[in-house]
Amino acid sequence: MSPRGRGAGVTWRVLLARLATALAITLCLGLIGLPLVALLLRVPAATLLVRLADPLVLAAIRLSLVTSLAAAGLIVLLGTPVAWLLATRDFRGKRVMEAVIDLPMVLPPTAAGVGLLLAFGRTGLAGRALASLGISLPFSTAAVVMAEAFVALPFFVGAAAAGFREVEPRYLDAAATLRASPGTTFFRVMLPLALPSVVAGATMSWARALGEFGATITFAGNLPGVTQTMPLAVYIALETDLDAAVALSVLLVVLSLTVLVAVRALPLGPAGLRRAHRDAR
Amino acid sequence: MLTATLAKRIGDVALAATFEVEAGSTLVLVGESGAGKTTLLRCLAGLVTPDEGRIVLDGRVWFDGTAGVSLPAWRREVGYLAQDYALFPHLSVQANVGFGLRAQGLARRSVRSRVDATLERAGLSELASRRPDQLSGGQQQRAALARALVLEPRLLLLDEPLSALDLQTRRAVRGELRRTLAGLPCATVYVTHNPVEAIVFGDRIAVLEAGRISQVGAPDELLRRPRSPYVAEFMGVNLFRGTVTERDASGLVRVRTPFGSVVAVDPGEPGDVLVALNPREVTLHLVPPAGSAQNVFPGRIVELVAEPPFGERVRVALDSTPPLVAEVTRHAVESLGLREGLEVHAAFKATGLVPYR
Repeated sequence: MSPRGRGAGVTWRVLLARLATALAITLCLGLIGLPLVALLLRVPAATLLVRLADPLVLAAIRLSLVTSLAAAGLIVLLGTPVAWLLATRDFRGKRVMEAVIDLPMVLPPTAAGVGLLLAFGRTGLAGRALASLGISLPFSTAAVVMAEAFVALPFFVGAAAAGFREVEPRYLDAAATLRASPGTTFFRVMLPLALPSVVAGATMSWARALGEFGATITFAGNLPGVTQTMPLAVYIALETDLDAAVALSVLLVVLSLTVLVAVRALPLGPAGLRRAHRDAR
Repeated sequence: MLTATLAKRIGDVALAATFEVEAGSTLVLVGESGAGKTTLLRCLAGLVTPDEGRIVLDGRVWFDGTAGVSLPAWRREVGYLAQDYALFPHLSVQANVGFGLRAQGLARRSVRSRVDATLERAGLSELASRRPDQLSGGQQQRAALARALVLEPRLLLLDEPLSALDLQTRRAVRGELRRTLAGLPCATVYVTHNPVEAIVFGDRIAVLEAGRISQVGAPDELLRRPRSPYVAEFMGVNLFRGTVTERDASGLVRVRTPFGSVVAVDPGEPGDVLVALNPREVTLHLVPPAGSAQNVFPGRIVELVAEPPFGERVRVALDSTPPLVAEVTRHAVESLGLREGLEVHAAFKATGLVPYR
């Protein structure tokens, strides 16, 4: 083959590769973007606010906000020590623990709901003990919070552990030689230095809790005002009132997108933290 | 006063050291990188747990391997200045200096007044609200030292406190640090690999070689009587290890070394000895000198190094037998035309050589 011919062949191959890449990117963006566009095109502009003001819809919005914030709070409270443990200590069974914590990310939420029922249901493992104390969890608002926390926990633990891991040991050593107890060192040095990651993780887990559907409907049911969150309301509305479903969906899209943009724009995002560490060196 | 005996194995280095530091005095710890200096410091601070040993400070037991006592770092009254200072990047200078007092649960107001006084003394009042990344290297060092000293430690540990600074800053900060340390009531352990710092700061110098202290003594003692080739090289003196062979009536002896023999003052008894030679005692000549020097060795110049750089004195290394280092004036270098590769004769008097064991 002449040099010119080989050159032309290479050019063709490069061109083909570029085309294929461009096609893949376009299809990928289309897969995510087209449904968003479709939703926005179907917004019943004139009646959007009226739809959202519907008492049942309002109840769903309120319930969603309350339960997802409660779930996020629960996750931060219970997940922070777990993240600290995974980030700072080595022990037997750590990998198993990490896998278990991550499981809800890939487990179908309906399966999680079934598990929750078998554990905390009236005749479940812990449910029987709770029932004897007069506590019944399934089909209550508390059950919604539990289902959401279950599904959203790994988003927080992963981010917080990564943040704790990034805190350089020299700062923890410095704190120890300045007579700070391990607790003081955690709250005054480790947590502030990892704060951007912790806040990002909490926000992500809140957003995940907001969108939770499968585990909630399985474990908590679909009782309007008690367990019917926005995603459940969307699903129900789809069968009776498409416009209401669209309105709620658009609201969810806007909320989720806002959260994601906000996390990336945090004044001290993960990038900002790294900058601070580097400058200190 | 600090008394410490400790053993710690980390990787290939088996640290095993016993030493004391009087209150108000400074022990400088020198040694090659990897000799265990930082590990030793971290053992004292409580950041690393020794395998065995005993650390007692002013009668208080910080660590006792046999009794199973090991105070964590935060319960030791220690000040630790890390090599890179490790100022908290999320806190102002003021909050950094106040960190230890706040951690002890002191009231905000009394913390404030003690921090202000400390900042004033360290000349940092103007910079109190700055973040560490807005400080120069020298200012960071002062802030980190102030942060440690405000807690009035009984033991101050400094890990190469000047090594992170550039050359110009280093000289100024060295003087400043020397004045600060001179007024401290606590015992201080200062790690460095810089001979000038060792002599400037050390009431005593301990030399760590492969995890063990090969020699400890006053700087002058190490200068006059180095006990190992490493100590001699560190202090910049020539060292010969040999055996006293011939004695004559004039009070001189011949010491045979593996590289030839030197004439020295009679140590009084025969046997194996060490002989140290200050490079300033060595003179260089283009022809064999006629005169009172009993020791003359021919050799080729291997290296010429001005000390300090561009300074008035020049260290000249020869490939003579034994290998020698001479320190001559820049004037001598110029008038003799000394350069690498030149054949010269190094001479020194026997009366300057006192063998020791």
